[in-house]
Amino acid sequence: MDSQPSKWALKFLRWFCREDYLDEIEGDLIELFEKRFAASPKTARRRFTWDVVKSFRLRNLKSINSFKNSNIMNIIRHTLLLAFRNFRKYKSAFLINLIGLSTGLACTLLIYLWVNDELNVDKFHVKNDRLYQVMTNNVRPDGIVTWNGTSALLPDALLEELPEVEMTAGGTDPDWQMSYDLFVNEERKGSGIGKFVDENYFKMFSYALLQGNPEEVLTDISSVVISERLALRLFNRTENVVGQTIVWKDINLQNAAKITGIFKDPPANSTDQFDFVLPFSLYKYAFGADWKSPNAVTYVLLQDGTSPDAVNAKLANFMDDKVEESDASYFLHAYADNYLYGQFENGVQAGGRIEYVRLFSIIALFILVISCVNFMNLSTARASRRLKEVGVKKAVGASRSALITQYLGESILMAFIALLVAIGLVVLFLPQFNVITGKDILFHYEPTLVITALSITLFTGLVSGSYPALYLSGFNAIAVLKGQLKGSIGELWVRKGLVVFQFASSVILIVVVLVVYQQMEFVQNKNLGYEKDNVLLMKREGKAAEGMDAFLDGIRNIPGIINGSAITNDIFNAPGAGDFQWEGQIDGNTGFSRFLVHYDFVETLGLELVAGRSFSREFAQEESQIILNETAAEIMGFDDPVGKSAKLWGNDVRIVGVIKDFHFKSLHERMGPMFLLLDSQWSSTMVIRVQSGGLRQTLDRLEAFYAEFNPGYFADYKFLDQEFQTLYEAETRVAKLSRYFAGFAVLISCLGLFGLAAFTAERRMKEIGIRKILGSGLLSIVRLLSRDFTQTVILAIIIALPTAFFISKNWLDNFEYRITLEWWTFAGAGALGLLIAWFTVSLQIFKAARVNPALCLRDE
Amino acid sequence: MKEQSLGEFEELVLLMVAALHDEAYGVVILENLEEHLGKKVNISGIHVSLKRLEDKGFVKSREGGITKQRGGRRKKFYVITALGKKRLDSQYAVRTSLYQKIPEISFS
Repeated sequence: MDSQPSKWALKFLRWFCREDYLDEIEGDLIELFEKRFAASPKTARRRFTWDVVKSFRLRNLKSINSFKNSNIMNIIRHTLLLAFRNFRKYKSAFLINLIGLSTGLACTLLIYLWVNDELNVDKFHVKNDRLYQVMTNNVRPDGIVTWNGTSALLPDALLEELPEVEMTAGGTDPDWQMSYDLFVNEERKGSGIGKFVDENYFKMFSYALLQGNPEEVLTDISSVVISERLALRLFNRTENVVGQTIVWKDINLQNAAKITGIFKDPPANSTDQFDFVLPFSLYKYAFGADWKSPNAVTYVLLQDGTSPDAVNAKLANFMDDKVEESDASYFLHAYADNYLYGQFENGVQAGGRIEYVRLFSIIALFILVISCVNFMNLSTARASRRLKEVGVKKAVGASRSALITQYLGESILMAFIALLVAIGLVVLFLPQFNVITGKDILFHYEPTLVITALSITLFTGLVSGSYPALYLSGFNAIAVLKGQLKGSIGELWVRKGLVVFQFASSVILIVVVLVVYQQMEFVQNKNLGYEKDNVLLMKREGKAAEGMDAFLDGIRNIPGIINGSAITNDIFNAPGAGDFQWEGQIDGNTGFSRFLVHYDFVETLGLELVAGRSFSREFAQEESQIILNETAAEIMGFDDPVGKSAKLWGNDVRIVGVIKDFHFKSLHERMGPMFLLLDSQWSSTMVIRVQSGGLRQTLDRLEAFYAEFNPGYFADYKFLDQEFQTLYEAETRVAKLSRYFAGFAVLISCLGLFGLAAFTAERRMKEIGIRKILGSGLLSIVRLLSRDFTQTVILAIIIALPTAFFISKNWLDNFEYRITLEWWTFAGAGALGLLIAWFTVSLQIFKAARVNPALCLRDE
Repeated sequence: MKEQSLGEFEELVLLMVAALHDEAYGVVILENLEEHLGKKVNISGIHVSLKRLEDKGFVKSREGGITKQRGGRRKKFYVITALGKKRLDSQYAVRTSLYQKIPEISFS
């Protein structure tokens, strides 16, 4: 074993201990170490280190002045001084580096803020690591469908049957966003989003109760817990609100409820946003609870230290003894994962928003590396200018590591200056960024943020400085001073390789932007099978809810309004049909969807009938008639479906018509079989078609009519085409963001190319002068200078296009209805990249080519 | 001149320097102190005491030669000064006179 004390401890001692004490202290410590070593090497070493630590006292320290003059401080001061002088001397290179690095850092910081925000959604619950949501896998002929609906009986059953479960809460799906009218003392006070949850809810989730006891706020069937925001809206105060009675109401349900508590508004990073909660017991009472209807959602809090896998094993067959031949099996999904990992394909977790988080993280890394590449390229290209400096330094004895330290120091300093500018940029553009991303991100002091920003900057400095540092410090001093050094082939390749990388990334981003743009255009202009413009959606409420037919009759008489109807469902997301059977059916459930609609729905929306008739008031028993779409008619296999009958939810229904296929789901999903069923009792949304001309006047008349018909309410309408847009919110955001980031990537790449071109032109100035004297024309010189760049950029494009093809195809696979990738998209992106490169380079080259040869040759 | 203070541990170190006469340096003082006191002492404490004693003028130091031991580091030898000796004497006198005043009663 090595009989030396710890090297680090010794170094540390020598570093801090004042010179005149060092002999004595170090000598004594080593002597002690040697004596103790004989007894036990390990203890000796440990005690030596301990002695060193104990000797670290004020009295033994070097004075501050000696630190000032210490080698390290001198090196740092020297490095900084040289760096600043270099920045001043080569202002254009400094500016190019600064702009490139700071833009890159700003983009990275913005993306970091966004990613960080995304990753923290729903994670604020204290018991987050034990909170789960029960998900259901339904086995269907065309695959497994995964969703969050469970039986309303499940929460209690789980608690009873599984010892691993500490607490459960049932509730209604937060995605429903049920909006209820609210009344205080018979006076309508607007509406609020409410949901039903179990009494345990406030014990499991961290929505802090400001007033009221979490144990008992929801025990009474006619209690309600409201948010701070709602309390202020209803009563203008939060004191003495508990105990008040409010009436909540929608078309199906209404009740007077006593306020038993006030909770703090759900934070912005909660996916679940609601104004008040009602007891789940009331929901079960009103809508029933049985094992067959999955009309609730279930949250589970597991016991400490329980793995969800153990519970999942039991959950898989949980339904078997509850319902005969159940096609549903349950499993647990971490509650916070719902947001980022919310998509399932055939029962298997298949991404979700996390894909965008990954995508943007990769983009951030790319932009950062592209801007680092600029720095590397310019520094190595300019190396020849600093050759003499390196040579002299080496000649007077600078070690290689000292030179490396100097150049790394320079690049790290550069990176930190860029960080300051980048922070300014982030502060400047954050509001705009928040608008695009639909977030509410704040840029304020936070330890993790500071650490991340500093480490990203340090990383940038190290990466961008590493190559120049290694490259410059490796020169042979004698050769350099004799002026014999020539750029090696390898160096040229590295520089070209970096440019290739930059432009390849830029071209990939350009292609992606083009493809995303085309797809979004396609989505906007896709014929949905009906005319989506000039359609209003209106909530059915108040008097309009009680006398819907009278209301609809009334608005039909308003000039400018063409027709009106109503629907129970979301027009862009038809729910599954459930139990639907017909004669000659081959296999069980074939994934039918359905709409519950009012009279005139087909006419109002403008769906095209291909056979039979639409629902009509002139016939009796229309409630047992259905209208199929073409796909449904084809699947059911009747030659002439009109007049045939089928069984829906155990009742006989008759097919009266067939309509052309139309999109009743988002374009991510296939148009499957579906039918319309007449049932206006539950209709919550009224659909109104207006004429395209004079829209403003029509709306004014509608509002006037509404105010008269429905006092206390105001006409709160939405446009169908705008609602359609919100379906593709995520994609639209990605489209916008990727456009910006692609722009920045191109800008940064161009900066690098610009600097490189400027430098090449400058170095070849004499050559150009001689060529001009010998009669070379402007064009031939331009061609000469731009040939290199053209080759490099073309190589980049050749590499980029296939990569871009795969990325685009991958993204488009998310859409069931999508554009086909055209060759000209790629050709266009390539040409654009080349044009931008040429333009950047030509600025410099023309300047160089027009130089007066007398000026550049006179000093030789 | 105001009399310099002398802490308890400093006094022990000063006594040891005086007792070892011309052979006193860090490690030897440490070993002897540990032997007499019967407890562990940290070397850095001794270093600090020695520096203080030197500042106060109770000891003076000289450097030894370079040897192969101790990683080639010189020893620093300490000897007590006249002032130091005087101080020890007066301290001893005070203590003895006080001690003798203890009445002869049982301390059980």
